[in-house]
Amino acid sequence: MKMKRLGALALTTTLVFGSVLTGCGGKDKGTTADGKKNLSVFIFANDHESPIYKGMIEKYKEAHSDTIGNIDVQITTQDEYSKTLTGMMTAKELPDVFYVGPESVQQFVENGYIENIQPILTELGISTDDLVAQEALNSYRYDGTKVGTGDLYALPKDASVFAYAYNKDLFDKEGIPYPDPENPYTYDEFVEVCKQFTKDTDGDGQIDQWGCGLANQFMIQQYIWSNGATFLSDDYRTVTIDTPEFKEAFQKFIDLTLVHQVTPTVEQDVSLGVYQRWLAGQEAFYACGTWDVAAFMDKETFPFNWDLCGYPTLSTGKSMTWLGTVGFCVSASSPNKKEATELISYLCANEEGQKELCGVIGGQSIQLPNLKSLAEGEFLTSIEDGSLPFPESVDVFFSYLGGTGNYEGRFQETTYTPNAEWFDIFFKNVDNVKNGSMTVDDFIADVQPQMQESLDTAWESIE
Amino acid sequence: MSGGKAVATKKMNKAEFREHCWGLAFVSPAFIGFLIFMAFPIAFAFFASLTKWNGMNSMTDNFVGLNNYIKLLGDDKFWKVLLNTVIYMIGIPIGMILGLVIAVGMNRKIKGIKFLRTLYYVPVVSSLVAVAILWMWVFNYDYGLLNSVVKLISGKHGPNWLGDEFWVKISMIIFMVWKGLGSSIILYLSGLQGIPRDYYEAAKIDGASGWNLFRDITVPLVSPVTFYLLITGLIGGFQVFVEVLVMVPSGGLNYSAATVVFYLYEKAFDSNQMGYGSAMAFILAIFIFIVTAINFKGQDKWVKTIE
Repeated sequence: MKMKRLGALALTTTLVFGSVLTGCGGKDKGTTADGKKNLSVFIFANDHESPIYKGMIEKYKEAHSDTIGNIDVQITTQDEYSKTLTGMMTAKELPDVFYVGPESVQQFVENGYIENIQPILTELGISTDDLVAQEALNSYRYDGTKVGTGDLYALPKDASVFAYAYNKDLFDKEGIPYPDPENPYTYDEFVEVCKQFTKDTDGDGQIDQWGCGLANQFMIQQYIWSNGATFLSDDYRTVTIDTPEFKEAFQKFIDLTLVHQVTPTVEQDVSLGVYQRWLAGQEAFYACGTWDVAAFMDKETFPFNWDLCGYPTLSTGKSMTWLGTVGFCVSASSPNKKEATELISYLCANEEGQKELCGVIGGQSIQLPNLKSLAEGEFLTSIEDGSLPFPESVDVFFSYLGGTGNYEGRFQETTYTPNAEWFDIFFKNVDNVKNGSMTVDDFIADVQPQMQESLDTAWESIE
Repeated sequence: MSGGKAVATKKMNKAEFREHCWGLAFVSPAFIGFLIFMAFPIAFAFFASLTKWNGMNSMTDNFVGLNNYIKLLGDDKFWKVLLNTVIYMIGIPIGMILGLVIAVGMNRKIKGIKFLRTLYYVPVVSSLVAVAILWMWVFNYDYGLLNSVVKLISGKHGPNWLGDEFWVKISMIIFMVWKGLGSSIILYLSGLQGIPRDYYEAAKIDGASGWNLFRDITVPLVSPVTFYLLITGLIGGFQVFVEVLVMVPSGGLNYSAATVVFYLYEKAFDSNQMGYGSAMAFILAIFIFIVTAINFKGQDKWVKTIE
């Protein structure tokens, strides 16, 4: 009797653990009992995007109820995304659809994680010609040796722009004319304008209003590129921060803090970040990403009038900034690649969904429209008639995105390297230069070998 | 006679066997859990540490032997973060001394003592992230509570607590002592309450002073608690991570606030060098093992128990 109970206990234990393990490793089968296809989606999204994507996926499911069974959607935060995805890769449990950045395309393809969707797009007759950001689209192409050309491995969810913004109320208060969005300031003009804003407004002997806020990692490239320099060589294998052009641009960036003193010092930045100071109306200029528009248009968050403008220009005369993108891809192990490709094309180019994301519906813009027809049509008319709260000089975004005579947007150089550690090394200690304890030359002599070593290691890791 | 003995032995064996089976059945969930969630990850991490695995590529195709370990020993940054980690451990004895002193103060019947005990324990049960954010503001250079007090007292601006290479370490130690003080107090209180009153009374009759009582009775007899706090403090000290990630997410100026686990995390998850990160985790585990073993070995010399 006791042995029977013992046997029952052992069996129960086995079953419990067996079911736990099955639960850990299991996923929906690719097909339902009645032959419909199941899909799984794993993405990151913020609080505003999340319900929009869930709604779009639900609508897609309803519209394809004859072929699609269930769509399992997992949404996480941007910080957690890559760690969870790595776990999924290790466990060989990739969802059918997930995000990929251009920097990962080559590695994901070479390691067999993502599918070449070009033949499926061709078979389904899906065109990508109406997508606004063709450069973003091309960043998901891979020809077996190089990213940027060849077949498509993902479709861009969006293309974002990190433009410059100014506080109109501060300009009015100081009686300074607004910047011309058609002709960005030169560096010297910018410094002169910034100097007029930098002052102690309450008479306590402390500066409490500045010309601009400088977020190192996100704002230095604008200066470097505009001076014709880059962090890396054209093949992204050599760190080139010791060129005269780079040093000059870097020095000018540092001078804004040390010499011209038109931006908060390192200590002041530690107390209250430059972003918070912008929101508090203490800085005349700060950056505005396409994802920031809804927040900045919300008076609760940013109770000032503002508009977009270009970053100051250096020797090339071009105002530069960086672009960003993330794309939907299809897992190479997906049993339903065709259906997954159809779904990602819907998520990238569905007009209703795009209207919600760009704010034509709902009035909160967190990205530019992906569709040319929408970007050139209803998006602009909604801004003009005031139904979509948006800064007047919306063209600044499109000028960076598409490029003009005096505007150019580029993907960050980390986009083309296996990881961004080499880039982070530069910024870990850059405050030593900003606080005057190191010169530009000494700093570069110190960090360049470290950056090069890190970059070499990164390339070795995938070869 | 011998046949009877054999029967008795057989019966005993059967009973023992049954007991063994029951025992095994009861420990099996924990054992299976250990195998799945501890032994397998440890073995996996060890194998990963011998490869150039980046989370995406194949481990077996990227076997590099002991290269990661050799590289790690020559990695200046690793030694720097190890030193930072050890410096933070200055907080362990400080926390223990403060904990004991406060526990002695609380080990008496005074009004509001339960409230006080609860108050000291609040940081222990609070979310580490939440209190770390709170202390970020306490340490804020311009608007922080600490610098406001410094200015009020001295008329001068206080230090850049989280932005200076020296002060950031002091800040982290203060925070960690504050966070762990409640635990030390509660454990010391339980230790103090286990000391028989007779010891103190006998010593008083012999003319011992308050200090003598504390030094010769209290301190030796709470030594098991001290030992426990030391061991857990050292193990926890080697694993400090969240505090740094929240309060100084960049690792501090010139990496002055970064710890081993922080560096390990950056290497593994930001730079995708999982193999290198795993090697670092292994070296760290070996350090913890050695330090713990030394402590256990040396405990006989100073840990006293109440006979």
